[in-house]
Amino acid sequence: MKVTFKIWRQENTDAQGELKAYEVDGLSEDMSFLEALDHLNEILVLKDEKVIAFEHDCREGICGQCGVFINGRAHGPHNNTTTCQLHMRSFKEGDTIVVEPWRASSFPIVKDLVVDRSAFDRIIQQGGYITAKTGTAAEANAILVSKEVSDSAMDAAACIGCGACVATCKNASAALFTAAKINHLNKLPQGQPEAHRRLLDMTAQMEFENFGSCTFTGACEIECPADISISNIAEMNARYVKAKLFG
Amino acid sequence: MFFRKSIVAATGLFLCIFLIVHLSANAILLLPETTARELYNSYSTALRENLFITLIAYLLYISIILHVVYAAIITFRNTKSKGEKYKVNHNNKNSTWMSQNMGFLGVFILLFIVVHLANFWAKIKLGIGEDVGVDVNGNVDVYEVTSFLFHNMYFMLFYSVLMIPLGFHLYHGLKSAFMTLGFYHKKGLRLLAKISLAYAIIMSVGFGIIPLFVYFK
Ligand code: HEM
Ligand code: FES
Repeated sequence: MKVTFKIWRQENTDAQGELKAYEVDGLSEDMSFLEALDHLNEILVLKDEKVIAFEHDCREGICGQCGVFINGRAHGPHNNTTTCQLHMRSFKEGDTIVVEPWRASSFPIVKDLVVDRSAFDRIIQQGGYITAKTGTAAEANAILVSKEVSDSAMDAAACIGCGACVATCKNASAALFTAAKINHLNKLPQGQPEAHRRLLDMTAQMEFENFGSCTFTGACEIECPADISISNIAEMNARYVKAKLFG
Repeated sequence: MFFRKSIVAATGLFLCIFLIVHLSANAILLLPETTARELYNSYSTALRENLFITLIAYLLYISIILHVVYAAIITFRNTKSKGEKYKVNHNNKNSTWMSQNMGFLGVFILLFIVVHLANFWAKIKLGIGEDVGVDVNGNVDVYEVTSFLFHNMYFMLFYSVLMIPLGFHLYHGLKSAFMTLGFYHKKGLRLLAKISLAYAIIMSVGFGIIPLFVYFK
């Protein structure tokens, strides 16, 4: 299989970037998209050219590292998937495939397709955890949680922090990520003691990082590999309004 | 960020309620001419003489200003948050066109509001331009102003065609405002999407056919 990649090449954060075209032959339809990039990089190494920098780790859709913008969509042409789970069979012989890094001013480009997503880490540091002494694991049934609550907390917890929501959003809003991280904990009894502070601190950090505001285009929930529902954002807003009005 | 967006949502919803009342009143224009004239003029006189309505009117002006100003601020800041744009972006695959272009649609509505106020509000309330006559009941003949305006083909088209961007703006706006203000019930949201569509169609078609109807009457 033969395709033309047009890939964003940028030396560092401050350098001027540009799309560069590479004709690549010898691909198989069974290759994952990342394997196709590996294949291209091997060719570049043999030609003594600089390889394309891109991120990846698990290659099984759970770590959230592999975010790139492919042919005008986060993680490529399919809804709700990661780049590592995208295969070359989703493209046709002779296709031109444009690959760009996530674009958001809070995600500065490090090099080529690699962006700095540490703004997400700083949001988590503001309360995306439970402050508790870690002894031995507690007996599982010591705190009872109903099925509905545990399901909806788990749905929010599925977020892998890939940044597709920010990348696809015209406002570069981190509302879906932040809402998922807040709701996951605030729905559970273990999250209750710090629920209020978590909500206010994490949303404050989200604003401090200069992410845009949510205008509910709904693009994020279509591109999210973990299928996080946009209703999480509305729920975060509801709790925020409540917290501000009633303390 | 929450605060600014909530202002846009709350003022937007208030304007949405206003539109329902406004359209209901304008539906009088669809009646036969003599009935329409008397009814429309007496209704309009009653409104002008009502203190409560006068207060609501001021709230309306303030809402429009706040809505436009805060919407402009968030749109400007969001564009800055985004920074450099993608070379290729197929956002039509993951979101509706109106949700991506609320500001653009809003500019048309603003243009409409300015011309609309100049045509009616400036004439009837501020008394700018030629004197407006009275009807058989001695009420200011607002019907005549309307009918005269809509018999001009350019104004008729302006008033009809600009209801299209209004419809698009309302379709996304109504849903979005509810979610901004914290409505998150999942089944409710699906119903809300349908209600928004119905509301947007009723408003744009409703307001849109009145000028056409008067023109061809
Ligand atoms: C009859 C007049 C109008 C009505 C009923 C209306 C209604 C609404 C509603 C309900 C929203 C949703 C708020 C939210 O997303 O939380 C909205 C958003 C917005 N409106 Fe309006 N609006 C009107 C006029 C205007 C005008 C004149 C402008 C600008 C010139 C404007 C610009 C915007 C923008 C930029 C947004 C949303 C930002 C976004 O979602 O991207 N609107 N409007
Ligand atoms: S590499 Fe881990 S999610 Fe794709």
